[in-house]
Parts: sequence; structure tokens; C-alpha cells
Amino acid sequence: MVVVGADKKALANPTKAFFVNMITRDITLEDCILDLIDNSVDGAWRCEGSLPMGLAVTADLSKYSIMISASPDGFSIKDNCGGMTFDDAANHAFSFGRHADQRQDAYSIGVYGIGMKRAVFKLGADIYIRSTYREPDATRQTFAVPIAVPDWLKNDAPPWDFDIVEAEALADDGVEIVVTGLTPGAFASFDSPAFLQNLRRTIARDYTLHLNRGLKIVVNDIEVPGWPIELRQSAEFAPMRIEYSDHQDGLDVKVEVIGGMSAPPPESADPDEEDDGEKRFGWYVVCNGRIVLAADKTNMSGWGTEDWPQWHRQYSGFVGFVLFTAANAVALPLTTTKRSVDTTSEIYRRARRHMREVSKEWIHYTNVRKQALEEAKQKEAAAAAVPIYAVTPQSSVKLPILTSRPVQRLANVNYSVSIAKMRKLARAFGDINLPYREVGLSSFNYAYDDMVGEE
Amino acid sequence: MASFEVVNYSLRPGKTIQRQIIFDGVRALQQHLELKHLIYVGFGSIWFTDFVLAHKLLGVDDMFSIESDDIGYCRAKFNSPYATVRVYHGLSSAVLSTLYNDDLVRRRPWMVWLDYDYEFDETVRDDVRSLIENVPANSIVLITFNGKDAKYGDASDRPRRIRHVFGDVAPDDLLKDQCREGRMQETLANLALDFMKSMAAELRRPGGFVPAFRIIYKDTTPMVTVGGILPTKGAVKIAMDAVSAPNWCCFPEKPVVAPHLTLREAVTLQSQLPRTEKLSRDIVKSLGFDLEEEQIEAFQRYYRMYPAFAQIVA
Repeated sequence: MVVVGADKKALANPTKAFFVNMITRDITLEDCILDLIDNSVDGAWRCEGSLPMGLAVTADLSKYSIMISASPDGFSIKDNCGGMTFDDAANHAFSFGRHADQRQDAYSIGVYGIGMKRAVFKLGADIYIRSTYREPDATRQTFAVPIAVPDWLKNDAPPWDFDIVEAEALADDGVEIVVTGLTPGAFASFDSPAFLQNLRRTIARDYTLHLNRGLKIVVNDIEVPGWPIELRQSAEFAPMRIEYSDHQDGLDVKVEVIGGMSAPPPESADPDEEDDGEKRFGWYVVCNGRIVLAADKTNMSGWGTEDWPQWHRQYSGFVGFVLFTAANAVALPLTTTKRSVDTTSEIYRRARRHMREVSKEWIHYTNVRKQALEEAKQKEAAAAAVPIYAVTPQSSVKLPILTSRPVQRLANVNYSVSIAKMRKLARAFGDINLPYREVGLSSFNYAYDDMVGEE
Repeated sequence: MASFEVVNYSLRPGKTIQRQIIFDGVRALQQHLELKHLIYVGFGSIWFTDFVLAHKLLGVDDMFSIESDDIGYCRAKFNSPYATVRVYHGLSSAVLSTLYNDDLVRRRPWMVWLDYDYEFDETVRDDVRSLIENVPANSIVLITFNGKDAKYGDASDRPRRIRHVFGDVAPDDLLKDQCREGRMQETLANLALDFMKSMAAELRRPGGFVPAFRIIYKDTTPMVTVGGILPTKGAVKIAMDAVSAPNWCCFPEKPVVAPHLTLREAVTLQSQLPRTEKLSRDIVKSLGFDLEEEQIEAFQRYYRMYPAFAQIVA
């Protein structure tokens, strides 16, 4: 018979294996690598005096570099961004979660205190973290934290800690993380040229603001160039650019919203047509200088919510940026993975009103332009590309007013042909990459001119 | 010069040498990997040259040829060289799907070599994806395709076309220069191997894809042959060691461009080989004729694999 008494307890101690499993489960390998890059970037900003990272800031990050090597043999990331102090390592960087009294770097992005641990556990079993930094009196110090994961997992008894050992100094003040004994997922991914190319693309996009300020990020010996973010400006096209202050839980947040035409809308809105450029269009959400949501076309940034239509290929060409800058990252609308937006955040919801305004203006313009296509194309071609930093402040987006022509009743043609023949005909019309719709139209016009002749 | 002494131009020495290199390579792999009961799959056409080599050099019995053309199929069946060659009528995509489920072959390693006349396009890409997804462990997958730059569009259109057809593995900043003339074949070979490796990783094949073959050759038009091994997890190291050994011959640094020689020229040059020193142009002249330096070098490197037949033309 079970005797229940005051001394009877149900055990509730966590195990290390459970923890490691939980924190690595819901984040992708790519996002883990971005977390490590974030730490390096935070280091660089710290070295530069922890400045706010709005668009207007002219900070120069060209002194800083982050070198990443990823192959089936192992992973490493090495920076020259100042290093982690011994105190940080001993008391903060390796604990799971932030202590209440822990200092929060101003304008940093790390909030939940698990980025580095999560990343290294996701990557592999043999981890070596080394840091060289300068004390306040300018002496250089170096230490390392080696982690043999299988051994560490064996003992669940508290305290959960890692050894800190002496190590040889790095050439520059910074952090180096080396992981071998890769997890099967990391092994397979680093063996895939497509994964590595996509990693480069994601870095180029998500860190474009930093890369354009001179930061160097190198993946497998190839430097990653930032995406140039440009909006088109002219007498008739002016992007919206506004800035205001807001508050979240008593903390100050600066909000900037920029939106407008980055490229002319596509010739065809057919969903069958592919368009490389579509990947760049939509809304970007930036928190303390890091893009956390890129080229979003989903209800995350508002498309398809509250009388705001769902994204359609017709709207391609639109780029919007909403930047949140806060001394305390807790105020930012981030999820724990830092790869997405917390859509319940009040400051984000308030910013969405402005995002909706400019998106709806754009949607209206793309609808109207269908009735005045030639006029629209001329005006669009006349608008010059301007880097996002240089966009003139403007309280609402300005788009041309077009004179629509009466709508003709049209016949829609839909048929299938072999891809090889389609490409050959595209080539004959002058461009092997001509969209299928254009080849169809050109072949119709060609036959019409030949056989009918009249306008 | 008597016309019967001229090696028939259509015999394509470049293609012949490339084929021999590949089969020599696979024969070497047979010493290391579990390739008993290997089967062969390819586009035999009406000549079945690769099928003959598979049977004679590799000891393969069960072989499958794919032919989509109606008359070609009829002629292929007629010309089938051995009792254990089965000729299938249809497009490669459909026939391969049938073979994946064929009890005779689905648990045995394949050597599959799809030799396309045309350029790497969506159909080639889809076939590659299908093979990497479905062939049994320890299989060897090879493709040959047209590498001529003009087949991929005008110069300014080629990078975009390449990015479209190869997808994520193609760098966004692919330059026009990388898609011209000789560099085009190098770009295509690299991207095709990257594509295969990425497919195997994406589809989580336990042993991944080990690149093993990369040959650019030219008779009239530059062609690209690439391929590799899809080993079991346990055989990955063996496969990688085999293809990185100093005597592994299937990654020639230079394209295989073999001179078209008369029989007399070929026999005369051959009589000077093998030799450790380079066969120089002076020596060739002293033998009574002349050739370009690259042609002499190519002959010296590949003379063992030269097509050794003549055809009476007149």
C-alpha cells in the first residue's frame, strides 16, 4: 500500500539530455549559425561603444571580420570582435537562461541567453570555445571552455558547469569556436553545396545592414557580399520614410518605417512564371540592426489580415523595412529563435498600421497600372535606385496617378508544350530566359503579323 | 593517301578515350566496393558500345537500355548484343521509375550512365534527382551532357539560365565569363557535381554522394561527363580513399581532346611509347610528320585508349 506523507516527493529534476534536446529541437542549423554570428556582431558593436543601430547611424564596422568554416570534417567560427571576458564565461555565457541581475548589453540582440549553447549542441559533440580579450588595464587574457558533450551528459547532478582552462592566445581579441564530431544533421548539411550556398544567401540578406557598413563575413574562404537594398525615387515615386518613438513595458523603442518600389512590378502575374527577384520583395523587420524577418509575404508582416490582401505576385517590386531599435533588447518584438517576429508585441502591432498603409497604396497602384501599362512602365523606368539609407523622409508613399484606358475584353490562352521546344523558341525570340508567357505572346504576335497583318 | 587508312571521323576518339577512362575507373572500384551483381543501365542506342564494355570489362550480365524513339527502339532490339540485355521503350523518367521497382535489380548496385546528346536542362536535372533518390546503395551514377556554351543561350543570358536550371547550388554572382567557351564546361562540371552532392544530402542518403568522375572531352562539340558513387554509410571511407588515390584517373586536369590521326600516324607514334620523357615535336618531325604540342601530349597520355580500328570508306 502506498503511504503518502510529508516526506514523499515526486522527482522533478531536469536532465541534461532533456535540456539539450529541447533547446536544439525547434531551431534550424542555419539559424544556429546565425546566432553565433549575432554574438560576434554584438561584440563588434560593443567595441564601437554600443551605439543604437538605426539606419541613420554612420558607424564603420570595417575593422571587424567573422570567418566561418563548415565542412563534414567540422565547423569553426572566429571573429576579432573583442572577445568574451572571463567573468562573462564564468557567470553568464554558459548558463541556460539569463540571471535577473545579468547586465544586458545596450542595443544588443541576444535576449534569452541560450544562443551559443543551443548552436554548439546542435552542431556537434566536441566543442572548443576560446576567447582572447583585454582587461580594463589593457592586459590580454585568454581562456578556453572545452566541452565533450557525451561525457558532460552523463552526470545530471548539479551544478551544471563546464571547465574553464588556460589556452594559447588568439592572434586578435575575439572568440573562436571549433566543433568536431558533427551531429548527423550538421554533417549532411555541410556536405551539401546547396546548403552552403543558401547559408551565404541568408547571411547576405540578414546581415546586409552590417555588411554595408563594412563588416566582413567569410564562409569557406569566400567573402559574403551584402544585398544592396534600394528603393526607387523620382518626382512621381517617393517611398514612405517615417520615424517615431514608442514604448514597450516602460522601455524606449525607436521605430522607423520605410516602404516603396524597389523594382518595377513584373510583366506577368501568372503564378507559373518564376522570378528570381521575387525572393527580395515584401516586408523586412529589423531589430537592433539585424534582419529578423526577411522578404516576408505572409500574415506575419500583415499580408492577408485586416483588410490587407494576401501577397500576390502582382505586388512584386515592393520592399518595406520596419526597424526597431532599443537599448534593451527585451523590448524588441522577437521570438526566442530571433528568426521571427513576436506578432503579439504591442509596438509591432502599432507599427503594422503604417506598414498596412504603404502596402495598400502599392496594391492599389499595381491594380490601376494594369489599365495604363505603357504609361506606368515609362514612369517606373524613370525612377532611380537610391540606397535605403539615403531615402528622403516622407510621411506617406507617393505613387503616380495614371490615366486608365477603357478595358477591352480579352481572350486568355492556356496550353502546354515541351520545355525543350519552349526554350528553343525563347532563344529564337532573343532570350533563352524569356518567361513562358512572353514567348506565347511573341509567337502569337509573330503569327498574327504574318498571317493577318492588320492592327 | 588511301582512304581506308583514315580513322573514321565518326569514331570520335575523345568519346572513346573518355569511355575507357570511366570503365577503367569502375573496374578499379570493383576491387574496393561491394559491386558484385552490378547491373548496367544506359542509353544503348543501336551501338551498345558501353554495354559491350560493361559485359567484357566489368563482368556485368544484366543490362538495361532505354530508347525513346520508335524506330530506334526497333533497331535497338535487333542490335542488342547479348541475351541479358533488355531494351525498354520510353522516356528515361518513365523507364527508370519502372526499374526502381523491378525485383531483379532493386537490391543490386547499379552502374547507370545516361549519355544525353543535349545540354543539361530540366529533364536531365529531374532524371538526376530521381536516380539519387532511388538507386540502391553502392550504385554509381554518371551523366554526360552537351557543354557547348551557345546551347545555354546568348552570352548575357547564360548565367541566368544556369542559375535557373541548377537552382540553389549556382552562385548568385555567376559571371558571364564563367559561362564562355572552355570555362563554361568547367562551370557546368562543377555545378553538376555540386547538384548531385546536394541532392544526396537533401534526400539524406546515409552515405551521401562521393564525386568520382569528372571528364570534359571534345570531338566536334565539348561534352561533360560527371558522376560519383552513392555508397552505404560503411563504405564511404573506402569510396573516398579509392577516388583520392594517386592512380585514380577519372579527374583528368585537362579536357580530353584527342587528335584525329591516320592509322599510319597512330601506329608510328605508338611505336615510340611508352616512354618516361615527353614525346617532343622534334621527335614527331623526325618520324616524318607534324602535330601540335597539345595533340602530341594528348596522344602520349591516352594512346592506350585510342580507338584502334579503321574503316574502309571507298
